[in-house]
Amino acid sequence: MTQDVAPGEWIAALIAARDTQQCDFFDFLTAVDELDEGIRVVAHVYSTKTRQHALIRTLLPPGALTLPTATTVYRGANWHERETHEMFGVHFEGHPNLVPLLLPDGFEGNPLRKDFVLASRVAKQWPGEVDPGQSMTDLKKPKRRRNLPPGVPENWAQP
Amino acid sequence: MTTENMKTGTATNETAPSGDPYAAEPRKTTEGPVYTLTGGDWDQVLEDATHDERMVINLGPQHPSTHGVLRLVIEIEGETVTQARSVIGYLHTGIEKNCEYRTWTQGVTFITRTDYLAPLSHEAAYCMGVEKLLGIEAPRRAQLIRQLLLEINRISSHFVYLATGGMELGSTTAAALGFREREVLLHTLEYITGLRMNHAFIRPGGVAQDLPEDWKDYLTKFVKTMEERIVMYHKLFTGQPVWRNRLKDVGYLSLDGCLALGITGPVLRSAGLAWDLRKVEPYLAYDEVDFEVPTSTDADCWARYLIRMEEMTQSIKIIKQTMKLLEPGPVMVEDKKIAWPAQLTIGPDGMGNSLEHVRKIMGQSMESLIHHFKLVTEGFQVPAGQVYLPIESPRGELGYHLVSDGGTRPLRVHAREPSFVNLQAMPAMAEGGLIADLIAAVASIDPVMGGVDR
Repeated sequence: MTQDVAPGEWIAALIAARDTQQCDFFDFLTAVDELDEGIRVVAHVYSTKTRQHALIRTLLPPGALTLPTATTVYRGANWHERETHEMFGVHFEGHPNLVPLLLPDGFEGNPLRKDFVLASRVAKQWPGEVDPGQSMTDLKKPKRRRNLPPGVPENWAQP
Repeated sequence: MTTENMKTGTATNETAPSGDPYAAEPRKTTEGPVYTLTGGDWDQVLEDATHDERMVINLGPQHPSTHGVLRLVIEIEGETVTQARSVIGYLHTGIEKNCEYRTWTQGVTFITRTDYLAPLSHEAAYCMGVEKLLGIEAPRRAQLIRQLLLEINRISSHFVYLATGGMELGSTTAAALGFREREVLLHTLEYITGLRMNHAFIRPGGVAQDLPEDWKDYLTKFVKTMEERIVMYHKLFTGQPVWRNRLKDVGYLSLDGCLALGITGPVLRSAGLAWDLRKVEPYLAYDEVDFEVPTSTDADCWARYLIRMEEMTQSIKIIKQTMKLLEPGPVMVEDKKIAWPAQLTIGPDGMGNSLEHVRKIMGQSMESLIHHFKLVTEGFQVPAGQVYLPIESPRGELGYHLVSDGGTRPLRVHAREPSFVNLQAMPAMAEGGLIADLIAAVASIDPVMGGVDR
């Protein structure tokens, strides 16, 4: 069952899922970058009694990436929210320890956002070596216009 | 020499007449007193050092008993852990991000590298998710081959739990024997898929190739070997008092705690809930085979050990029944818009038998050449939508949350990784116990850091 709610009703929807739908099992929480529409936060909970799934979604507009923390409802949301915070830049208000989880100290940017370029795709010549023994310098002299790797914006400078 | 030094037995330059030229002077610093020890009774020396002071110890990330590149920052009072915190991310490789830049089929190559001890679970969950988005179903033979592979992989993963977990408890016998058994299992996986790890064998729409011709003899022999070996492990460890004492009543986590934190797998089943997605929401052909879900109500490391041992026996049971269900048939969907046109099966000469096909498309049909090229480089389109598909991996519920915008590459791939979720329970299991029990508790969660960090 998929349920779309407004960001203001996020916690109320989770509490309703836990208490009235008996969803006692917290599955996961993550986000999806929907480009201009904003970032959609997704939580999945489950009932071990009625065996009902509940997928709760909310769309955060690009300028207001803030959501109250779900850790007050499900304790297990802690790491999921930390991961979503560092990967998408969504701020979870009231989270006990909203510090980076997987990324190294001092890492800048939110890697799973669509505007974050996958640098390895650009740093390495694409499509790469065609034949064994062909050196990278040969490839750097293109005989015809090269396409940019998928996902790399036109105006993006080579690192 | 001061009287205090005599009392604590601190051996310094002054007390050691032989004279250690490198020994530092005992002194007080802002971080506490500095002692130089060159012998004597540690208990006496540490008596005043640890009496009312807490110590913060950093375990890992390079430590033989933290189950991979896991770093544990623990605060201890004496031998008792008062606070434990895990620091992760040392193996973060951005697999989810990378998948967004590859075709749906190429994604398999990435996700198989997450949980490197159960790569086939990841492949199966991901591919079944893609198939659900496409609205197709893999042929029956492909599904049974997947089931076979998943169970072989489950046994090999549990053997590594036994090996690494045992090594962390100080049993090198368990380590040596567990890895010996795993070798047998990896040979079997290599025999079927061609690779020991990172198989990328399960593809959206089916599996890469059919089973080798003599699979029946090979697997029958394999099952017989495994059945004999598992009995040996019960003889070796289940009755052994040291093994039992290290695990019994250690790493307790109640059922409510499991559910609130989202813990699954053997840890949840050790708390008394018979929660196994193979039974609860059967996928592949798990509803056609007869097997049991072992549970316990002890919720400790010992129960988790016994559950994993029993799961291996049950997996062998599933393998035997799946072998009987296998009937000849296709292993990839017929749809030419999804399945690769070339046959990938390796013949006895070690070459693919697609030569005939290649000759045909190269020489006779320009259209099929274009089709082949586009399918391999560009990939197939997946209708817009989102799915979440969970399966039971050796470590618990493994699910893929896939979002497609209708293109040939995913908009978002998210793995609900059981190691990642289960590791959150480490403080709840370890705080209040001894350091030695913390190690046993982490081993009983059996996290794989490749899966935790992705």
